[in-house]
Amino acid sequence: MDYSLHILILVAIYAGSAISLDLIAGHTGLVSLCHAAFHGLGAYTTALLATRAGIPFPVSILAGVVIAVLLSFAISLPSFRLHGDYFTIATFGFQMILFGLFNNWIELTRGPLGVPGIPAPVIFGWHVDTNLEFLVLAASFCCFSGFVVYRITNSPFGRVLHAIREDEVFAQANGKNTLYYKVAAFAVSAALASSAGSISAHYVTFIDPTSFTVMESILVLSMVIIGGAGSPLGPMVGAMILVTLPEALRFMDLPTSVAANLRQMIYGSLLVVMMMFRPQGLVGRYRFGR
Amino acid sequence: MVIVQLLLNGLIIGSIYSVVALGFSVVFQTVRFLNFAHAGYYTLAGYFTFLFLVQFKFHPAIAFSFVCVVVVLVGCMTEFFVYRPLRRRRASSQSLLLASLGLYLVLQNLVSLAWGDDTKTIRTAPIVEGHNFLGARITTVQIVIVVVNALLICTLAILMRTKVGKVFRAVANDNDLACCVGISTDHVIMGAFGIASFMASVAAILLGFEIDLTPTAGFKLLVMAMIAAIIGGIHSFTGAALGGIVLGLAQNVAIWQLPSKWQDCVAFALLIIFLLFRPLGIAGRRGSDNGVESQ
Repeated sequence: MDYSLHILILVAIYAGSAISLDLIAGHTGLVSLCHAAFHGLGAYTTALLATRAGIPFPVSILAGVVIAVLLSFAISLPSFRLHGDYFTIATFGFQMILFGLFNNWIELTRGPLGVPGIPAPVIFGWHVDTNLEFLVLAASFCCFSGFVVYRITNSPFGRVLHAIREDEVFAQANGKNTLYYKVAAFAVSAALASSAGSISAHYVTFIDPTSFTVMESILVLSMVIIGGAGSPLGPMVGAMILVTLPEALRFMDLPTSVAANLRQMIYGSLLVVMMMFRPQGLVGRYRFGR
Repeated sequence: MVIVQLLLNGLIIGSIYSVVALGFSVVFQTVRFLNFAHAGYYTLAGYFTFLFLVQFKFHPAIAFSFVCVVVVLVGCMTEFFVYRPLRRRRASSQSLLLASLGLYLVLQNLVSLAWGDDTKTIRTAPIVEGHNFLGARITTVQIVIVVVNALLICTLAILMRTKVGKVFRAVANDNDLACCVGISTDHVIMGAFGIASFMASVAAILLGFEIDLTPTAGFKLLVMAMIAAIIGGIHSFTGAALGGIVLGLAQNVAIWQLPSKWQDCVAFALLIIFLLFRPLGIAGRRGSDNGVESQ
């Protein structure tokens, strides 16, 4: 029971994060490889504020969001001058720099030792300390993320994002300041990713830099692509599959190192197969990259 | 002389960056996508060297040629079974990029499953003291690395000035137009993947005698090679070679002032600076689209 609750919580957190990545990758058509860096920003901000200063959870999660949004400007304003693959490379660079910071700024983050003993969050008097309560928190975050992205993409603002995805020059020709739209979408995506990181840090109670590597970014991106980019349900389905499928390997009595490698092989082959035979993902309609 | 040693180290690792970056850039120029599977070829080559040289105890010359053949085959297979069908379906460069990420994950984890995640070594020769060069030390292996890499870069430079090179540049410049004048672009692209995986295997064999093997080292090296290709100018072969040396030197000179743990951050900071102020790269010329919008 506790185990299935654990899986559900992971699915909810990842789904919320994948939905936010979908806003930039699926709806705006910009592949970002730094989602895990934003998770890390949120996670480290809340973890450090909670363990060192005892700041309550709602405040620290907001602090994480503010930091993530500011840093998202630092990356999006310059790199949106570049298009397509160069944006991907710039986000990749950002991801590696932030990982370097988490790993090497030992005075602040304790480096590879990580930050242990993150307390259970207290939200306006509500102590979230059982797994069931955590599931409620994670699920409401997932719903909130889905709601935000759904509202954005079904508004005039979202239509501009779709126009940018299909033909950016055309959107500009229609008088849209595409830079503004892209920067705003990236900031929203970063804010949601940072909150996902904060929640998961409080759930696991321990963070270290290895949870925020580029592989994690690729994992979230795979969820978006495999579920179906640019659709409301796609990222959730993707998160569900990519979290539960590897868990099935647990029951096959494999050594842990083999299981970890098999898991990554599954992600990898699913990515290739999806790109080749079903670019719209399992439940999506938009054919990614065509 | 600390600075001479640092410059030498920068040159050695820089020459490896150059060779990997050149292979990466050959594919980028002809197909226009970032091939992350390049790191997979590199990793595979390192471990096949371990297999043939240490586990099967083949003669080095035979082992090295086997490694190159196998890895070139793998490189061509990824093109034939994954990228070519994707191009047929008019997939965007982003789809190709994602597929290549998937391929990398598959290749790297195959290596991990076959040989385990622990460190493997192919260095069998006894450790000897290096030669003295202006107060700095350089080992014979390191001299071989620099010489072989320089030869490889020169060969490619000469190749690009022949008819073969002209065909390559035609495909790189305009795929459809090259097709119109009767160039078989599929063959050229297959050749590009062959060259790329060959250069990756040479780099892997050479660096294997300097640094021990781990399954994930290839990815890190590819990242550096990508940065090298971009700061050098990804649309020219000289750029990729130059960028590798510049990156290697910059990283090692940075050690002079900064703790070495910030080496990666130096590389990425350099990348961001170049993307901001000179996205064309060192050797890039205006007019060759390098991902910069015209506004």
